[in-house]
Amino acid sequence: MQSRRSFRDFSLVIALVVICAFFAIVSPQFLSARNLSLLTTELSITATLAIGMLLVILPGNIDLSAGSGVGLLGGIASVLVFEHKWPAPLAMGIALVAGVLIWSFMGNLIVRQKIPAFIITLGGLLIFKGLFWLVIHNSTIPIVQGGQANLYSVLTTFYLPPIVGYVLAALIVTALIFAKLRSRKARQGYGFAVEDRELVFLKLFLAAQLILLFVVVTNKFHGVPLSAVILGLIAFAIYVLTTHTPFGRYLYAIGGNEEAAVISGIPVEKVVVASFSIMGAIVAITGFMQTAYSGASTTTVGDLMELDAIAACVIGGVSLRGGRGTVLGVLFGALIMASLLNGMTLLAVSPEFEFIARGAVLSLAVWMDVRLGR
Amino acid sequence: MEIVKALSKNSNILVLDEPTAALAEHEVLILLDILRDLRSRGIASIYISHKLDEIFAVCDRITVLRDGASIATLDTKQTNKAEIIKHMVGREITDLFPRRRSKLGASTLEIENLSVADPHSGDCFLADINFSLRAGEVLGIGGLMGAGRTELLMHLFGAWGTRLSGSVRLKGRELRVRKPEEIIREGMVLVSEDRRRYGLILDKTIGFNLSLSSLAKLTKKRLIDQGLEFQKNNHFFQSLRVKAPTLEALVAKLSGGTQQKVVLGKALMTEPLVIFLDEPTRGIDVGAKLEIYEIINRLTNAGKAVLLVSSELPELIGMSDRIVILHEGRIGGEFNRDEATQENLLAAAMGQRQVRLT
Repeated sequence: MQSRRSFRDFSLVIALVVICAFFAIVSPQFLSARNLSLLTTELSITATLAIGMLLVILPGNIDLSAGSGVGLLGGIASVLVFEHKWPAPLAMGIALVAGVLIWSFMGNLIVRQKIPAFIITLGGLLIFKGLFWLVIHNSTIPIVQGGQANLYSVLTTFYLPPIVGYVLAALIVTALIFAKLRSRKARQGYGFAVEDRELVFLKLFLAAQLILLFVVVTNKFHGVPLSAVILGLIAFAIYVLTTHTPFGRYLYAIGGNEEAAVISGIPVEKVVVASFSIMGAIVAITGFMQTAYSGASTTTVGDLMELDAIAACVIGGVSLRGGRGTVLGVLFGALIMASLLNGMTLLAVSPEFEFIARGAVLSLAVWMDVRLGR
Repeated sequence: MEIVKALSKNSNILVLDEPTAALAEHEVLILLDILRDLRSRGIASIYISHKLDEIFAVCDRITVLRDGASIATLDTKQTNKAEIIKHMVGREITDLFPRRRSKLGASTLEIENLSVADPHSGDCFLADINFSLRAGEVLGIGGLMGAGRTELLMHLFGAWGTRLSGSVRLKGRELRVRKPEEIIREGMVLVSEDRRRYGLILDKTIGFNLSLSSLAKLTKKRLIDQGLEFQKNNHFFQSLRVKAPTLEALVAKLSGGTQQKVVLGKALMTEPLVIFLDEPTRGIDVGAKLEIYEIINRLTNAGKAVLLVSSELPELIGMSDRIVILHEGRIGGEFNRDEATQENLLAAAMGQRQVRLT
């Protein structure tokens, strides 16, 4: 089991290196500071949605409507800003609340009417797509009024000043070291197995290097993108939620054995509805970032993003049967997906082959999940 | 089916690992006859079971394994059950059901005129159930398969059935809540007969399972206090003598008896007043059984009330202060400890006896 896991982790790192090396050789621009900065923004968008998807998959559900939701909720905000001249923060707040309400309604249908999440969210996929096109009248709706930047548009155009990036990196690395040493000491106190001192040092050193490298590279092109900060905050919040709260334990317990969860006194229905409500908020935030990245709401915004999110989860070790998966794994899965998509765009791969490649990666990831999950 | 497959291969040695776990009584007899027949034809069998009756009925020699080591190999003709049990447990057992000196306290749980319908068919499944349970008491519930024992416990725990009538009072107060999570907060907890299905999150650790029902109490400022959680987990890990290297061992890899202790520990951590035990010793070895009995006695000594469902009459008689027998969803008889003989209980379970309420 343990060796299988580490074999899996290792093969993922190899896959990432191979993918990046391939694109770097075929297209030298892949490793340019500008492209890596774009990749960071794309990663932030994909990974944010995938982390929301994790919350839905952990208790054994799935959300196929996320991609359409990204378009719809982004579109609602766009229309409010451009056509009704609302201030951007208010428009985005309304769209966010709408997301939470719609997703908690879907969650309620799933737990109270006992309809599989697959069906409800498949219906959602089509309904939200239709609503999206109605809202934007099949046209292109800009996200700004009269070309003036607002909170909505800066989501993907604002960069932290270089010095702030370095300070932030230093703070994160310090916090990481402190947290790691504290948890290691606590585990030692409980008599649990701990990693070797050298391994801990190596891991921390590697993490610090990667964070620093990330800041150096993004600083060569404007600085750390705001979207990466948003991803960082959401990832940290969901990490704490899944690993340090009763709610997180319940998600894993329900996915592991729902009947035992009920008998153990877990409010299964509330937990599932809550997981969908949080997903609604995350879909809205992803919708704002994706729409801002596209520059406007058009009919194709959000297309197939649910499948990228699911693929990122599965690549990152989330079991589609529920009960297994971590935020860190999902981030890694999203990095692989985002690199693939970015590289293919860079090479101007025609859409036919891009569809085939995305489908192949999704199938391969699920096959690996089934093979290794046994 | 598996047995037929194995038999069809014409081998010289047949290994059977708990072959009767899925068989009914008369099928077991057929299987034992087959094994005797094979023996007369010169085929050797290794028969692994925790059911001593079967072993004494069919085996020539008996080897006892304990904690991964071979303890003793004995000739069946020259030994007896007591000796085998002694080897299995590692010490002399004078009484399989340790006596308890519990003082009965105030009435804790009172069930009056309870009738419950099957949620799928809507038919009345349990009718006119009346009994009460005092602090420090073990009330045994017996009856044949399908008499409604498990359904009664699951209903009281809020996990089965639609209530048609009747009242449930806990400490004299009408119990209004109906969901398991609310009933646990009120002080009642259930240990299911099917621990793999209703008891455990199998691919998680012992610690994850132990604290699962008590997380609200282990939470400070919305976060789980991991130090406190470890203390609580470790307390039950030690006091129930869970046989595993650490709290981080996966539950799926534990033996049946050890898994049962984890389920018990999870239930006890909720600090209940009333504990429902549904077949708590099903499918576990004699040593673990004895430990479970001792745990039950510790609970009653601490003033907890226990509702014990069991299909094994000796266990029911040995552990209970009083016994209620269910027959087709109704109470078929109620017995004090000294009235409870296997014959009386069986007759009541078959419905051959007038209802007699004490």
